[in-house]
This record gives sequence, C-alpha cells and structure tokens, in this order.
Amino acid sequence: MADEEEDAPFEEDAEEAGGGLDGGQGKRKRLFSKELRCMMYGFGDDQNPYTEAVDILEDLVIEFITEMTHKAMSIGRQGRVQVEDIVFLIRKDPRKFARVKDLLTMNEELKRARKAFDEANYGS
Amino acid sequence: MKLEMKEKKDKKQKVDEDEIQKMHSAAPSLLLERTVAPATPYVCDRVHGILVSSFSEEQLNRYEMYRRSAFPKAAIKRLIQSITGTSVSQNVVIAMSGISKVFVGEVVEEALDVCEKWGELPPLQPKHMREAVRRLKARGQIPNSKYKKIIFQ
Repeated sequence: MADEEEDAPFEEDAEEAGGGLDGGQGKRKRLFSKELRCMMYGFGDDQNPYTEAVDILEDLVIEFITEMTHKAMSIGRQGRVQVEDIVFLIRKDPRKFARVKDLLTMNEELKRARKAFDEANYGS
Repeated sequence: MKLEMKEKKDKKQKVDEDEIQKMHSAAPSLLLERTVAPATPYVCDRVHGILVSSFSEEQLNRYEMYRRSAFPKAAIKRLIQSITGTSVSQNVVIAMSGISKVFVGEVVEEALDVCEKWGELPPLQPKHMREAVRRLKARGQIPNSKYKKIIFQ
C-alpha cells in the first residue's frame, strides 16, 4: 500500500502511468505520443523526434481541439458540435477546409461502396 | 524534405485497371505507387506516380509515415465528448482528426523553417516549436479565444 508510493518515485512511463507523477501538462497521461512521433517524421522531422518536442505538440493539439470544440458549441446549435459548425469555423483556412471536404466526401463514397457491396453479397 | 501534396478524388476502379496495364508496359517502377497503401484513398495521377517512383528509400519511408499516420479516433472522440458532455457523431471525429493532422503539419513545417533559419539541424527542439507557434499566432493560424481583441486603440 504505502510501498508503491515510495518505491516507484518518478517512473515516467508516459504510455502506462495513469495516476503517477507527471512532469508535463497537469496530471494527464500522454494520449498521442506514438502517433505524433510518426506524424512528425512524416512532416519532415528526424526519425526519432525529441520527447519534449512531441509533448509540446501534443499540448498544442489538445488546445487546438479544445478551442475548436468550444467555438463549435457556441455557434449553430448551441451546446452541440456538428460538422457544419466545424466547416464554418475553418472556412478561412484553405488547407484545413479542403482537407475536411475531402475526408467527408471520401467517407460518403466509402459508405456507399460498402453498402452496395453488402447488398450485392446479400443477393447472391 | 517537405512535401506539399494536393489531395484529389478517387477515379473509378475500371480506370485504375487500365492505368495498371499501361504502367506495366511503360515503366515497371511506376507500379510502386500502388504498393504504398494509403490510409486515405488517393488519386494517382501520372505526375504524382512518377514522383513517388523516383523516391529514395528514406523518402519512401517518410512518405509512408506522412500518409499513414493518424490520430486514434477513439481518443479524439473521448476528448471531444469530455469537453462537450454530449456524444458526437462519427463525422465530427473524422473532421477533427483530419484538421488536427493538418495543424500538426503546419507547426512542424514552420518549426523546420525556424530550425533552418537559425542554422541548426533536426531533430526539432522545444525552442523551435515555441518560435513556430509564436509566428503562427502572429499570422492568426492558431485559434486563441483567451484574450479580448482590442480593435481600436
């Protein structure tokens, strides 16, 4: 009981520690460490990015998502986040706007294709 | 090496098969495009196919990471729902993950610019990231609703 707290002091295993001590942002466990590393490499960083840089990015992403969510909740239908609100918020940013449009269109196409495939199978 | 990729819609299956036939006869290396399976569907137009087939192994690795990396949908959904308190649709999660990835790209690319400008090398350090964020904020590319905007002094 008391042993755990004394024997495992600053074991910062970001992937597992839920209630352990955290030197970074509050008490939150790192949500996207693995994925962010791959992303940073893909966008031009070194194959092994510095953990501090990854942490900063994660905080930035969480702040970004939080801001967007709060703004989306305040427009359109209050208290809810809907796709139309996100698209509206992003309208001035060409890259993000194009990306959202693409993703949603492709998702629709995939759904349609899957539905057609299932119906074809059901028939035979 | 920074890649600025423009996303286009998927062609129909039939057209792709014709393309494969042509590619077989033209240059076997063009087939390489097909083997880099994307996380999201992607159009190969001729130029893009030629570009990717001339990548070095390191560039191919990086390109594959660029295409395949994505935020885990479950974590994003949990995060959004913890903020709204209500449930959100799948499309919202898809949209939010997508623009978050673009956001990461903007920060990383800016940070690489800063790093190069200061005559240093990757891997990126926190000071590069912070300077990149400062610049993006000045351009209004980072949302920040914490301070009241004073329009007229």
